[in-house]
Amino acid sequence: MTQPQDLPKEAGHRLEELEHGLFTSDLSVNEFLLIKEAGFHPLGFVMGSSIYHTGIQARRWSKSQELTKLTEAMYNARELAMTRMEEEADQLGADGVVGVRLDVNYYEWGRDAAEFIAVGTAVKAEDGTSHRNKLGKPFTSDLSGQDFWTIMQTGYVPQGLVMGTCVFHIAHRGIGQTLGTVGQNVELPNFTQALYEARELAMTRMQDEANTLGATGIVGVRLEEKSHQWGSHTIEFLSLGTAVTKGTGDVTLPKPITVISLDN
Amino acid sequence: MVAPGPADTGDGDPGATGPDGDLPEAAGRRLAGGSFSSGLTVPDFAACLQMGLRPVALVQGFCVMQWGWYGAGSQYTRGMTPFTYGGQAPPGVYSESYSCPHGGFVYSNEHRIWGQNYQQPWVEAAWAQGFGSAYSRMIEEAGEVGAHGVIGVVDTTRHLADMNVTEFHILGTAVVVEGGGTPPGATPWTTYLAGQRLAKLVEAGYMPVSVVAALASVRVWAYCVTEMLMEGTLSRFGGNYMPVSEVEQLSRAHMAARSLAREHVRGQLGNDTLQGAQIVANTQSLSQGDEVIECALRGTRVRRFKDFDPMPAARPTVRLS
Repeated sequence: MTQPQDLPKEAGHRLEELEHGLFTSDLSVNEFLLIKEAGFHPLGFVMGSSIYHTGIQARRWSKSQELTKLTEAMYNARELAMTRMEEEADQLGADGVVGVRLDVNYYEWGRDAAEFIAVGTAVKAEDGTSHRNKLGKPFTSDLSGQDFWTIMQTGYVPQGLVMGTCVFHIAHRGIGQTLGTVGQNVELPNFTQALYEARELAMTRMQDEANTLGATGIVGVRLEEKSHQWGSHTIEFLSLGTAVTKGTGDVTLPKPITVISLDN
Repeated sequence: MVAPGPADTGDGDPGATGPDGDLPEAAGRRLAGGSFSSGLTVPDFAACLQMGLRPVALVQGFCVMQWGWYGAGSQYTRGMTPFTYGGQAPPGVYSESYSCPHGGFVYSNEHRIWGQNYQQPWVEAAWAQGFGSAYSRMIEEAGEVGAHGVIGVVDTTRHLADMNVTEFHILGTAVVVEGGGTPPGATPWTTYLAGQRLAKLVEAGYMPVSVVAALASVRVWAYCVTEMLMEGTLSRFGGNYMPVSEVEQLSRAHMAARSLAREHVRGQLGNDTLQGAQIVANTQSLSQGDEVIECALRGTRVRRFKDFDPMPAARPTVRLS
């Protein structure tokens, strides 16, 4: 967990300027309009970054296994970036951050090191009611402005961007195994179970985060897979989504109407 | 091959099924968790609530399959086709042969005096097994959370790492119909559709039954004309110019692959209809005009349950998305 003083000096100066009324955001014009329509206004573009050395972990050539050290590293690095972004939002007095993007960049100068970046637009409710989450922090969400407006119409409120990760090493096949099934169309249960387990672990961890926030559910779940720089047999399974809770008021969903789009 | 639907009348292919109760432990723990998860976009989520569907969990199924080594498909075993040159293919299996039109004169050892297009049912069966097993596991997960259906199904196949194995991955959002009963046979219905498209389907009077998908695989052994047309060397035999002409053998192979995929899917529909058909053809070029054409067709099997309601009058609008 980082402390507010972790933020660079320049961040403080930039955020101070934003406190005087000027706002910055990466929202499109339509997103800006809908954020306002939902009763929020943007406070500023916020970000958090962490350059993390991911290290190495021994893996057995013929064994499928979770690489827990790498899982931990990928998790911590993203948490650091997210926490710093939340701190910037907190400093602006925001209720939440919308349109959060989490990226990983690699640089030539830092072998085995990666920069984890979280960026988004801090927003605040115009009527002064607090929309902070159960932990007293600004909510985070990867929802676009349109999606944010829509979810608010359904009576659900974002609580936080939740994620789960699992770095898994997939075993190589030995000569014996290969010869044993040569020419056959067969399921390889060990591989099936390994990949199944890896994805389920990532999704379980994501759900655990949502439960910590007291969420009712998670919308827009994405399951991403990347080998980063580890080679083809080591894969990171990352599960991401926005945790939401059901609001207290009764909501009547508007009946859909047929429309003809003039966009095309 | 077929994804078993809730009210499968048994008139389609039975489909491959995976073993029951073989979900990983983590799946059980995740599905027992307190919050729901959903792979739906927010607009789809909103449309889902509007229709009276409650998301309960993101469900998924996997199967890693080894693709058998096919002597008949290898470029080193030309001639080892399942159907000898000029021979009859088994009933219902596509095959056609081509003969050299150059008078039977062998210009060199490499001159291909015969060629053949043939269906590869063993590849199709392997694909069906992998898809069917992954699908059954997804249905098993959906059953564990008491779902009535699975919407927004997405299926992918990909080669795993650098091994000669293929992974089938199917996932979707399990939903409960508010106030609805258990589906027939207690098997959740499934659909590739979600959100607005699903709402429009129901509005139009159709209900989803199950996703259906099939692969057709056709192997092309090029004969001399196809080889020369593909390599641009026909002028050796036809004068000093290259005529514009159809590569008939390949055209027919491509048509056959699409037609076979359609037949496979038709066999799974029974008296129902297919909605949102998507056909994806992949061609793997080997050498000397030889090819493998794989054509996957997928869509949602739908059944009429009410008369079409008149649509309200449309009005122009500008989207903010």
